[in-house]
Amino acid sequence: MTPLHYYLIFAALLFSVGLAGALMRRNAILVLIGIELMLNAANLNFIAFWRYSPTANELVGLMFVLFSIGIAAAEAAVGLAIIISIYRHHRSTQLQHVDRLKG
Amino acid sequence: MNYMELLGALAPEAIVVLTALVALAVDLLVLRQAPQNARQVVAVSITAVGILAAIIALSVAAPSPPWMDGLLINHSTTAFLKQTLLVLALVAGILSIQSRFTQHTGEYVTLLLLSTVGMMLLVSSDNLLLMFVALELTSLPLYVLTAFNKESPSSSEASLKYFLIGSLSAACLLFGISLLYGLSGGITWTQLATTLRAGSEPIVYLALILTLIGFAFKVAAAPFHLWAPDVYQGAPTPVAAFIASGSKIASFYMFARIFMAALPGTAGSAAWSGATPGWVPLVAALAVVSMILGNVAAIAQRSVKRLLAYSAIGHAGYALLAILSNTEQGMGSLLYYVVTYAVTAMGAFAVVNVIERDVQAPNGESLTDFAGLSRRSPLLSLCLLVFVLSLAGIPPLAGFFGKFYIFIATAQSGTSQGLIWLVMLAIGTSAISLYYYLQILKQVYVVESVGQPTPVQLRPAESACIVAMACTVLILGCAPNWLINRFSPNSTEVRRAGVITKPSTTLELAAEIHPRITAPLGTATGLVQKRPQFETTTANAQ
Amino acid sequence: MPTLPDLLFYALAGFTLLFGFLCVANPFSRNPVTSAMFLVLTIISMAGLFVLLQAFFLAAVQVLVYAGAVMVLFLFVIMLLDIKEEERRRLNKAALGIGGVAVLAIAGLLVRALVQATPLASAAGQRAEGSTKPLGRLLFTEYLLPFEILSVLLLVAMVGVILLSKKEMK
Repeated sequence: MTPLHYYLIFAALLFSVGLAGALMRRNAILVLIGIELMLNAANLNFIAFWRYSPTANELVGLMFVLFSIGIAAAEAAVGLAIIISIYRHHRSTQLQHVDRLKG
Repeated sequence: MNYMELLGALAPEAIVVLTALVALAVDLLVLRQAPQNARQVVAVSITAVGILAAIIALSVAAPSPPWMDGLLINHSTTAFLKQTLLVLALVAGILSIQSRFTQHTGEYVTLLLLSTVGMMLLVSSDNLLLMFVALELTSLPLYVLTAFNKESPSSSEASLKYFLIGSLSAACLLFGISLLYGLSGGITWTQLATTLRAGSEPIVYLALILTLIGFAFKVAAAPFHLWAPDVYQGAPTPVAAFIASGSKIASFYMFARIFMAALPGTAGSAAWSGATPGWVPLVAALAVVSMILGNVAAIAQRSVKRLLAYSAIGHAGYALLAILSNTEQGMGSLLYYVVTYAVTAMGAFAVVNVIERDVQAPNGESLTDFAGLSRRSPLLSLCLLVFVLSLAGIPPLAGFFGKFYIFIATAQSGTSQGLIWLVMLAIGTSAISLYYYLQILKQVYVVESVGQPTPVQLRPAESACIVAMACTVLILGCAPNWLINRFSPNSTEVRRAGVITKPSTTLELAAEIHPRITAPLGTATGLVQKRPQFETTTANAQ
Repeated sequence: MPTLPDLLFYALAGFTLLFGFLCVANPFSRNPVTSAMFLVLTIISMAGLFVLLQAFFLAAVQVLVYAGAVMVLFLFVIMLLDIKEEERRRLNKAALGIGGVAVLAIAGLLVRALVQATPLASAAGQRAEGSTKPLGRLLFTEYLLPFEILSVLLLVAMVGVILLSKKEMK
């Protein structure tokens, strides 16, 4: 069986890719996509830990992923609605155009 | 697992959820065509009834039975915190009457109440899953509420920043939680506390850092504060007030709980000489950056809401000191501090709300809008004086005792006063903060207003709230014992998870400094010893 | 000699990382729709990894909820707002470079920490299976409370989304 470390290292790499996307892209929707990748990496961690844990019968890791997917869906919906309302005002989803508040 | 018992333990939360649904249904089904003002009054009245019922339910609620450990914890401290949260939510509701930021009163009240439910569950949660779900239930309605003023571009901009930074840090938190779960094999505080130890494994610190990022965002500690000034300025003022008060209480309590109760083995030390790795030095770094950045950046602000935001960052720095003291005394001082701070901040925002309505500035108020306020409304300026001086930490107001307890708890906690340097820094930055707080008061009391001073329009419910909050700040300052007594004996969370706290040598020091301080701490220790179930742990500690 | 699951792991992990990378930084297209489509591919190969880890139900949920519902929402919004190519950014190469180095450093730290960690858990219990029945049972007993809170959370999302995306009638 593939060692646990491989999964964890892979999840860490995916998390970093998502973080890079979230920090470096300038389009709000792409930032949101980066955040989804980070959440997915965390989910993979949970499942890998669950699979390799001595108390796997308790299904704790799986339950966490189930809830995290639900939360991510709700969060994405709210985020996209906020992006729509931004678009109404600024006619753009580029973050550099959204800079009224400063100081 | 007994469903009825679970419902009984969660009756207050259930009442608040029901209230939210009723308010939404009444507003959308019955009052569709009614005038805006009537809808607001009805919605807030329903809220008031529901919140009152929930507060009563909380005051008669029994502590949670042992089988709920690992899921929920209810005791008198959580009940008091929840009552405070409910009162703050009610005030945020009352402040929104007659404000023109939205037509959708039903939705406003619903989201406000559901966010409060999230905070109440956050205060009670006893495992990582419930904590994460409750944290999201707290945050999501606040993101939407921030964008509530659909005519204002700043409102949606603030919301976008709040949302993006918030979900970024939530993703970091979730990754940190996944590592904590993997390292300990469980998600309850007890499982975490018994398995996680600071060792040579860097992965433990990684998990700590990621978890810390999530909470540092929630409490607006620098350098994760970037959303705070924009949200405070762009959000509708009642919403900003609720974010600054209610969300702070719940997040700080959970912040302290997870690190003190669940991760005691990985604390480390932040002593000036001989720091060891762990979460304490990380929190110390956050506290130092927050205190300096918050208080220095506040000086340059022209908008009072932005100024309050930077001052909130500074205050978060002081509150972090209480967390890193990592003692039961620190927990008590933290709760006293955040509760009094929340009431004060809510009061200050309430005054700003009145002024904002009065000047009708489209992009929020500025410092000069407060010019000559003492002529225009002596009552309002007196209340603002109380709030601002309490934020600055002037005795005998509540803010002074909050800082005082925290500084004592911090100075006491490290071995051989190793944390004194942090206290020194905190006192220094408090002195800086006096400058910008006095700037506000200078506008109110010294500078003349432009043109003829016209009296400020105040509504009875609103002014009653403001005066009540000012009185609370004053009374809590004159009689801090009442509040600190509520927290000291009952911050048993730390003990339940098997943490051994240091013996309290504070009593002697406190007695030298201020005879009145001794009383609460003395009774606290006394109460602890009266309770049989804690005798063993107390004995261990000494 | 690597076994079949090992090979599948390498393949799926490689695909996920590749698609994930393409979805945040595609050198060929700066169109958000392309990014969203690559996110779908990322999520589907993640579901493959879930299957390898014997979390069958979650693999299905991952495809249904993420690739099905959430991604449709993304595409819907991208097309509704008619977002064209993301603007080319002038200069700001420095910020990009610093960001890239920072993220690489974070990734390096993460991986180093994981490599150094002593074996975290014992070998997998082969009995454990993420089948649907025990999950469902737990959801309505031990995890009932978070489940109910999640339903309140979805209510919040519903109210919030309707409120924010509806046009105001004057």
